[in-house]
Amino acid sequence: MAQSKVVTHTLANGLMVICEESPATQSVGLGFFVKTGARDETLKESGVSHFLEHMLFKGTQKRTALDITFQMGNIGAQSNAFTSEENTVYYTTVLPEYRAAAQDILSDMMRPSLNQSDFDTEKNVILEEIALYQDKPQFYLFENATHHFFDGHAVGNSVLGSADSIKALTRDEMQAYFDRRYAPNNIVFTCAGKIVAEDVIAQVEELCGSWKSQETPRQYASFTAKERGKIFKKPNLQQSHVLFFSEGPSAQDDDRYAMGLLSMMLGDSTGSRMYYELIQNGLAEGAGCDTDERDQVGNFYAYAVTSPENLDQVAEVTKSIIATPRKFSEADLARAKTKSISRMVASGELPMGRLMALGTEWQYLQKIHNLKTAIAEIKAVTVKDIERALQRFTLSPLSEYRMVSE
Amino acid sequence: MNSEVHIQTLANGLTVIVEEMPHVESAAYDLLIPGGIIYDNPETVGASLILAELTSRGAGNLDARQLMEQFDDLGVRHGESAGHDRYYYHGGLIADTLAESLKLVALMVKSPSFPADEIDPIRSVFLQDIASIGDNPSRRAMMELSQRYYPSPYNRPSTGTVEGLTAVNQQLLKSLWSQAFRPQGAILSIAGNVSASAVVSQAEELFSDWQGIAPAAPDFGLVTPATVHHIEHESSQLQIVLAYPSAKFGDEDYYVAKVVAGILSGGMFGRLFIEVREKRGLVYSVYARHSATNLYGTMTVYAGTTPERAQETLDVTLHELNNIIGTVTEEELLRAKANIKAAVIMGDESSSSRASSSAADYWLIRRVRSLEEIQQGIDRVTAADIDQFVKRYPPQHYSLLTLGSRSLAEPGLRSLSGVK
Repeated sequence: MAQSKVVTHTLANGLMVICEESPATQSVGLGFFVKTGARDETLKESGVSHFLEHMLFKGTQKRTALDITFQMGNIGAQSNAFTSEENTVYYTTVLPEYRAAAQDILSDMMRPSLNQSDFDTEKNVILEEIALYQDKPQFYLFENATHHFFDGHAVGNSVLGSADSIKALTRDEMQAYFDRRYAPNNIVFTCAGKIVAEDVIAQVEELCGSWKSQETPRQYASFTAKERGKIFKKPNLQQSHVLFFSEGPSAQDDDRYAMGLLSMMLGDSTGSRMYYELIQNGLAEGAGCDTDERDQVGNFYAYAVTSPENLDQVAEVTKSIIATPRKFSEADLARAKTKSISRMVASGELPMGRLMALGTEWQYLQKIHNLKTAIAEIKAVTVKDIERALQRFTLSPLSEYRMVSE
Repeated sequence: MNSEVHIQTLANGLTVIVEEMPHVESAAYDLLIPGGIIYDNPETVGASLILAELTSRGAGNLDARQLMEQFDDLGVRHGESAGHDRYYYHGGLIADTLAESLKLVALMVKSPSFPADEIDPIRSVFLQDIASIGDNPSRRAMMELSQRYYPSPYNRPSTGTVEGLTAVNQQLLKSLWSQAFRPQGAILSIAGNVSASAVVSQAEELFSDWQGIAPAAPDFGLVTPATVHHIEHESSQLQIVLAYPSAKFGDEDYYVAKVVAGILSGGMFGRLFIEVREKRGLVYSVYARHSATNLYGTMTVYAGTTPERAQETLDVTLHELNNIIGTVTEEELLRAKANIKAAVIMGDESSSSRASSSAADYWLIRRVRSLEEIQQGIDRVTAADIDQFVKRYPPQHYSLLTLGSRSLAEPGLRSLSGVK
């Protein structure tokens, strides 16, 4: 096994740089992780984080949108970005010889010009994206149920925003949001793969050293889950969906590994209780549960999709599984650990997998993600740890949401 | 990457492919067996789907739960399924569990126990999958187009049919298995931190008593180009999909087709993305894809947009498809090539993707292409090749399908070029 080495560096303006040299890999992953998302928006700005993410591809003082696109294309870089309730991430994978060129373009993109005409055109793309997701029942349910469950807590804010909020948004409002959130001290740059860390860091200094730092506070309201619920309806749905939410561990919580393994035993896509009691017997088309670990807040969810006539039964079975979380053996726990470690190893072998692990861990914990440590933490979880975690996260009260045909 | 690939065909016709990747900890297997939806009896389309899943519900002396638990004990991320022309067993794992994992695969393939009480539950999940197509407009549009475009039986839905799934019983599955699950033409591809000689001898041990020849694939007839359909569907967006013939796998101009698809739709620089999305903001998603087997090649184009922008979306899309001859610049060509080559290297870094791309190559051309061969194939493509290619496979021969709340008028492009 070839060894990898992590080198970190912090710029004077607060920009954090994490590089992982893995000489045996064939490519390089680069990414900017901005600690901002829907939860950092005001009501009037709803959807601006995601819209802004699109606008970063639309040009800078030095490059037009086509320059960015063509220059990335010329070096065969595969670029993309995503926005969540609390993170916005821009990343690209590239062959090692083009790392510096890709870093130059990606860094430049982080200081966009936000032209009015680009803004107007891209607004239509965003409206199409909103329409696209309107046609996806599972997405629609998750987004609307999350908003309802969090009951005014900002982490339940819609990532896409609504057609109305997007139509009303102005370029200047987006600029103000950018100025408020995209300060270097709120950003981590991560680079992993076949690289020389020293070169990467020197280039970050050169390209990002002039960015001005400023306060980028995030609100951390407390959240206590209540028993809520709602039925969403859409015309002509063939299948029905049910979704349960309860409180879960945050990304900083020491019980997150215990709760993650418990979720795997309850609702992994194979070999879990939900698999045996809902999928293997043909009751549901799909079913699973997991924890959603967020910044200082979190939730547990369980979801199933089934035919309309099975919906009540599927909901009952799911509820009964959640109500008896302690029904597992030592052997079940050992299996969950093995599965979890096997997945981590596979994703850890790709620069992209390492990039995501390093960037995310830093954003939430200000720690350098280490695969060996993470594996050791999973191995160390005992039945007692899960029992203790369950005293804090009782998986109740439970909120139930459904999506059915009208 | 690009380490040597060991290929050995056993006496029973099973080909074993091994790529040693000493720098990783993981390994992966892909087992492909001829069979699947196009081989199904016309009255039982979807039987192969149930069969593949049923082999995972009991084999040898293990019942469904024991089999699942043994895989989970090893930490294998595994799947068993049937596609159009092959059964597909794949798994990703930590390399030192490969030997034990392959034993389970051999059990499922050679000694399934056909538990009768597992058939109805499996059927129910596949019937629900068919129902869910109605809730997924883009998937439904693609399937509806395929059914109209490809000749029978290649036009069958990958989900099976309600009638076909309903008609399946245990007896039929047993007889399907005894005909179809045969080693002649099957491929076992392994990549990861393994030793080729150890894998080959284990494969011999596990599979040499497996005998027989699977039935030949049905003949491939002619596609049905130049048709237009609209399907009413209540949804926010209108789905626009079209398909037209392109180069087959192994054809001289196979790599030309890849480059043309790259010019139309590579990365964010493809012409469709720039003209339809970036400049006009008409869609969130628009793309062209070239797919190919040794029987057919197809260029498929997709755009999803709200009804009021749909006519312009279609017009601009068709214009771009028809605007390739004589317009491709040297810079654009280089960009498309650079992108395809980088994607090939970067998409093939994991043991899982190495195992499946070797298997897929061998399936189609009975050998595994080296990275150099693919790179040279792409590098050789010239602007003149592209012009010739577009004349040979004119986009005017498209079949078009729209799905949504309004139908569209076709612009006069078909007649404009005089091809049709």
